[in-house]
Amino acid sequence: MFVVLNKSQVSRRTLFIFSALLLASCSTTASQTVGFVRDEPLDVSRVFIDEQTNSMQATPFNTVAPAGELLILFFGYTNCPDLCPTTLADIRAAFARIGDDSKKVSVAFVTVDPERDTADRLTSYLASFVDRFHVLRTTDMKQLQLAKDAFLAYSAIRNNSDGSVEVSHTATTYIIDESGFVIDEIPFGVGADGFENDLRILLKKIQ
Amino acid sequence: MPRTKALALVAVLTIAVSACSDSDSESTTDGSDAATESVVESGITVEGSWARNSPMDATVGAAYMNITSSVDDTLVGASVDESVAMMTEVHETTTQADGSMGMQEIKSLDLKAGVKTELKPGGYHIMLMNLAKPLVVGETISVTLTFGSGATQVVEVPVLEEAP
Repeated sequence: MFVVLNKSQVSRRTLFIFSALLLASCSTTASQTVGFVRDEPLDVSRVFIDEQTNSMQATPFNTVAPAGELLILFFGYTNCPDLCPTTLADIRAAFARIGDDSKKVSVAFVTVDPERDTADRLTSYLASFVDRFHVLRTTDMKQLQLAKDAFLAYSAIRNNSDGSVEVSHTATTYIIDESGFVIDEIPFGVGADGFENDLRILLKKIQ
Repeated sequence: MPRTKALALVAVLTIAVSACSDSDSESTTDGSDAATESVVESGITVEGSWARNSPMDATVGAAYMNITSSVDDTLVGASVDESVAMMTEVHETTTQADGSMGMQEIKSLDLKAGVKTELKPGGYHIMLMNLAKPLVVGETISVTLTFGSGATQVVEVPVLEEAP
């Protein structure tokens, strides 16, 4: 349909479209994270978990992002068919969309199943998703518990009589800043869109 | 004269409206015919199937799909060839009271007549255990679904990096 507008109508229409676009741009580059932001963020600056290197050596890793960067932390296990690969694939997709800035984000994966998750297995598992990662694995259950307590995370392993192993774990993805504060807690299920949204906002904030 | 014009307009509008409704009813008929055809085959329609590619060292994988049954039925099992995985179960990812998430085997998943049941990340999935080899993008695995009605259906599941 072709509608002829007079001058005042045009300017009103332009103004309307302009405001609509402004609103739309607000909603796409939202300033709101989909993740949960606490008024008083969790302080994980004193958490240390053994980081496994390829040489089979472990060195204590402090769960703090390098200066000017972000650290993503997730509790999981490699025998996890659904939640862990979905989360890591969503992070990978978000990184690809964000491009160069994603190099300021590294991923720390804490295994809640250290008996079955060897350092080598964890390393190749994470390498299939992201480039910059930390393999966090400790068989010291006290150390793992202290870390879980700091993140208010939970995990349990149940060995069933039929030989199967049931693992449950918190599926939240934590985003940590250079001071060791958890500045965003992303629940499972937000997809690559959710990760992209939050990482863009947080990367802008730390610039 | 004006009356004739008005009549002509009504006529044109009527034709236009009927043309619209004709094309509408045609497409509806086409759609239901197509649906009936696949229903006659097995009573089960599966679409959107995919399995995520698995990391090299992973021993498990998951397949996802949408299942619609023309009658009330249940999904009671799934299986794959041993060259894919040693064991296959229908699982549900659930949130526990403490907020953590875990999985449990579902022995019988209700499929209400005509209602699409989604198997998707974070919900129901077909868990492939003790993978014989990694699931590689570009490959397709055959998953046999078993239903409470006794019917079985083989679904060709493409291995993908992301949901289709």
